[in-house]
Amino acid sequence: MPLLDDLRMPLDEHDEARREFLALVGAAAMGLASLGTAITAVRFMWPEVLFEEERRFRIGKPEEIPEGTLVALPQQKVYVVHAPDGFFAMSATCTHLGCLTQYERENNRIFCPCHGSKFSAEGAVTDGPAPRPLPRLLLTLEQGALVVDVSKRVERDVVLKI
Amino acid sequence: MKGYSLETDDNARKAPVRLVVVQGESEPAVDASDEPQVMSMPHLFLREGIALVVLSLGLVLLAIFVDAPLEEIANPLKTPNPAKAPWYFLGLQELLHYYPPIFSGVLLPGLVVLALVVIPYFNVNLKREALWQTRTRSKLAYLWASVAALSAIFLFTGAHPVWPIVLPLWLVAVLMTLPALYPRRQGAIAWLGDRSLAFWIFLWFLLASVALTVIGVFFRGPGWQFTLPWRDGIY
Amino acid sequence: MARTSTRYRWIADAVLENRVFRSIFRHGFADSNRNRSLAVFSNIFLHIHPVKVNVRAIRFTRTYYLGGLSAATFLILVVTGIFLMFYYHPSAPRAYDDMKDLQFVVYMGPFLRNLHRWAAHAMVALVLLHMVRVFFAGAYRPPREFNWVVGVVLLLLTILLSYTGYLLPWDQLAYWGVTVGTNMADSMPVLGKYTKFLLLGGTEVNENALLRFYVLHCVVLPFFLVLLLSVHIWRVRKDGGIYLGEAGEEKPDAEPEPVAPEPEPVGATRESVR
Repeated sequence: MPLLDDLRMPLDEHDEARREFLALVGAAAMGLASLGTAITAVRFMWPEVLFEEERRFRIGKPEEIPEGTLVALPQQKVYVVHAPDGFFAMSATCTHLGCLTQYERENNRIFCPCHGSKFSAEGAVTDGPAPRPLPRLLLTLEQGALVVDVSKRVERDVVLKI
Repeated sequence: MKGYSLETDDNARKAPVRLVVVQGESEPAVDASDEPQVMSMPHLFLREGIALVVLSLGLVLLAIFVDAPLEEIANPLKTPNPAKAPWYFLGLQELLHYYPPIFSGVLLPGLVVLALVVIPYFNVNLKREALWQTRTRSKLAYLWASVAALSAIFLFTGAHPVWPIVLPLWLVAVLMTLPALYPRRQGAIAWLGDRSLAFWIFLWFLLASVALTVIGVFFRGPGWQFTLPWRDGIY
Repeated sequence: MARTSTRYRWIADAVLENRVFRSIFRHGFADSNRNRSLAVFSNIFLHIHPVKVNVRAIRFTRTYYLGGLSAATFLILVVTGIFLMFYYHPSAPRAYDDMKDLQFVVYMGPFLRNLHRWAAHAMVALVLLHMVRVFFAGAYRPPREFNWVVGVVLLLLTILLSYTGYLLPWDQLAYWGVTVGTNMADSMPVLGKYTKFLLLGGTEVNENALLRFYVLHCVVLPFFLVLLLSVHIWRVRKDGGIYLGEAGEEKPDAEPEPVAPEPEPVGATRESVR
């Protein structure tokens, strides 16, 4: 079975140069196409819209929370506290492994049923494996009502003064 | 194996126990012919690559400029008019216009699939005899008798005369008859005369399917009424 | 391709002759027949091809590359399909909302969806054309009969894949197209009722039907298609490659392929051969 092949087809310099140039252009085009495809593929995977829970909640009027009390909102996973120097909101999610904490009114402390972490009414860790205090969340006053944004954290000494 | 006799002996030195007998290597099918060959790399792969790129380009251009349809959300209480199946089923759906579902939805497509599967096991013309070489007169008679019978069936048993099936049948019959009437050794008519019966039957099926599908796609509107796409649009 | 030029040789050498590249590709650049052979049969993806191929087999007008194009279209469908799966929930009515999401929100969503749909139509068309080409070329004749049967099954799988995918957008076109189809299946004499019941996972086209069609479309049918496609291509190899006709039946090709001159040893003066 005879093999017809152009192992070394005689090419003059022009043919060779043209062949190389075209091969280079072809390779560059394929490279561009691959790069474009790769970028598109990665960008495609970035969701534009999140079908997740609402992040901002209206809590209520500040007058409804007497000084020195803590309001627990388990559905939004938030505690709102009227401290002596102002209002603040903090996350009710335990900083250990993400369980929902509970407020013990009798002892004025927050505890986590999963691994026994305990927090003060300001969110500082008093006992248990939790590594960090409960983070504080952005609390603002809008049209006479308190609004919490659970996606925004603030420093632990920030309070809302009314 | 031919020409080989197996000796056996208890003495392992004289006749060792044979575990396997290796025949001489058989030729791989690719070496069986004397025709010229080329290396797959680059000749075959270059062509494959170009074909792949051209296909991708064509599809990408289509995807950029022509949108896939998205109608309103599925509503079991509201049947669109007409309710059309995807295009590859529209030939069958058109057939439903002529025959009840048991025939056009089950029997006919089932028979077509069966015929397709069975093609290579029958009708192999081992003598390589052209269709009209022998017994031309009686074969012609059989042909046109069958055509008459089939035409009668498809014109009178359906709800309407099934022209998309009958007209291709007549066309095929005429093409088959030409070489018998005008025997030639060269040219188009000679080529027609060389075709096998399987070829003609397949051609008839193909033309009839295409006709049914084209009508179903372009020429049917609400109520499965006959429409003209240039006048009424495509449904 | 001859590599007698030295101008860009250093780029090629830097890329192709370093240790990392040589650990992946164990053969050199394809400029000797040995390397070309190795490129094929030492590569897991390429070694389904023969190392050498008959010149007549690779001409475009022989097969119009329809089989290969069908397989390539399937590949495009798998890739675009997987991308689409990241934004699609197979439950009604969420599926329709996801289609809207893909259409208006997702980056390049419309492009990927359109590509998937056009490739699907193209695949059905190409597979049908491939079948017609194989028939008219007589490439189903013994010993290739069984491969033809495998091809018919592949055709049915392709149509089923297209059909199961048709329901997934959950729009009017999808819902009623599938209703018409399953009712046609229902009219089968003995097995019709059970076929429809199994296909739909019930008696209605509802959420169960959608989930079932989704699993069929994304897992079951592609699995069998890939399986049978492997058999199909394997059989073509074992039967000696593309069917080229019986001896004596083939008319000679319009022009024979030009035969290259004998390879000359390097360094010999080259004379122009035109």
